[in-house]
Amino acid sequence: MSASQSAVRSRAEAVKVSRTFDWLILFTLFFVVLGGYHIHYMLTGGDWDFWTDWKDRRLWVTVAPIVSITFPAAVQACLWWRYRLPFGAVVCILGLLLGEWINRYLNFWGWTYFPVNFCFPSNLMPGAIVLDAVLLLTGSMTVTAVIGGMAWGLLFYPGNWPIIAPLHVPVEYNGMMMTLADLQGYHYVRTGTPEYIRMVEKGTLRTFGKDVAPVSAFFSAFVSILIYFLWHFFGQWFASTKFVEAA
Amino acid sequence: MAATTESVKADAAEAPLLNVKNLVLGSLLYIIFYGWVRWYEGVYGWSAGLDSFAPEFETYWMNFLYIEFVLEVSTAGILWGYLWKSRDRKVLSITPREELRRHFTHWTWLVCYAWAIYYGASYFTEQDGTWHQTIVRDTDFTPSHIIEFYLSYPIYIITGGAAFLYAKTRLPAYQKGLPLQYLVSVVGPFMILPNVGLNEWGHTFWFMEELFVAPLHYGFVFFGWAALGVLGVVNIEVASISKLLKKDLA
Repeated sequence: MSASQSAVRSRAEAVKVSRTFDWLILFTLFFVVLGGYHIHYMLTGGDWDFWTDWKDRRLWVTVAPIVSITFPAAVQACLWWRYRLPFGAVVCILGLLLGEWINRYLNFWGWTYFPVNFCFPSNLMPGAIVLDAVLLLTGSMTVTAVIGGMAWGLLFYPGNWPIIAPLHVPVEYNGMMMTLADLQGYHYVRTGTPEYIRMVEKGTLRTFGKDVAPVSAFFSAFVSILIYFLWHFFGQWFASTKFVEAA
Repeated sequence: MAATTESVKADAAEAPLLNVKNLVLGSLLYIIFYGWVRWYEGVYGWSAGLDSFAPEFETYWMNFLYIEFVLEVSTAGILWGYLWKSRDRKVLSITPREELRRHFTHWTWLVCYAWAIYYGASYFTEQDGTWHQTIVRDTDFTPSHIIEFYLSYPIYIITGGAAFLYAKTRLPAYQKGLPLQYLVSVVGPFMILPNVGLNEWGHTFWFMEELFVAPLHYGFVFFGWAALGVLGVVNIEVASISKLLKKDLA
């Protein structure tokens, strides 16, 4: 093949073309993953993520990490195992948080007037950094699933604690004791969300008192490990390049 | 010397590898259009969208729905029809540089698909959550549904279909058969639209209040996973582009 048949005419042009594709790919990957991840997360753990009075010590701590480790595991399976890029989990969480923050500000506040300190999203970034760091340091999917997945579940509550703690302060209101977050829920009425469907602090585990959050986090960490394994293989399948014959 | 001059002239006359203008215009189309849609929701959601039996609801929302149905079917027919009709019948004999140019055009389509998926699956879907947890629904065609299900979803279906058709009809890398992961990343999110049937049936059957994590919504979740098929598309593209860039560079 002669030089004139080459796709590029110089090494400099090849580098420029390559860098341009990098940006196009990164942009597309970021926003398509954002869309898929966000619709998954809002419909599997969304209610606990939308409102501060759902962010309890039991179900929020249990559900949010389990349903959110999915896409990071799948994207890691592509970006690390094919390209040695150690930021699959962080890219997913940056995307999810961007989509959530835009929505909470422009729509929850901008359209239906819920204050942002009532409907801010959960912070998933500490777990994502650890998940990527474990994969980078060990290069092992199994170790990442066990150590990273466990850290993902265990770090969720401490990672959100500085944000949520002021809203878990107890208050007395009309002779009843509740949290400040509960009080927010009473004042900002959601007509489509009656109190009886709010799933917080349920079950006998709450009688364990201060141990509720750590026990929930530990259980969540256990399931996160299993979900990581499963979604790692999903990610491998989605990243494959199979062609099928047209009928 | 003469040959060099000819070569420079040919370069100057040649279309650029990446048409930046198309990329920017394509992106602006989504951003400006959806900015206007959001303004419309803000104004007419509250003033005309609370009671589906009111005459103003018919004026501002049902007419919006009828118009978008017509425009979406027409746009899909014309755009997909054009891409198929103008397909390259000698796609395997194009020059490497032309192939590279077409990969850039393909990525312009994929960037548009990324905008469309973002607005459909993220922006307008979660927005629907806050609307329904605030306003009690009395119809399937609420203001948020008219935008989310019947505008933003068809738009990403049309865009994804166009990107797929462009790749299939103009790029040699996609001539080995039907790229499975590409199909999944386009057809999966498409299936979210038929799944609206289940959603609306369930909402009219079981409850009027809104629990976003209700199992009734899991169909959306399942088909949302298909967006991960973009990983396979990226891998096909990276392999093809790497092959093109490594040719005769030394």
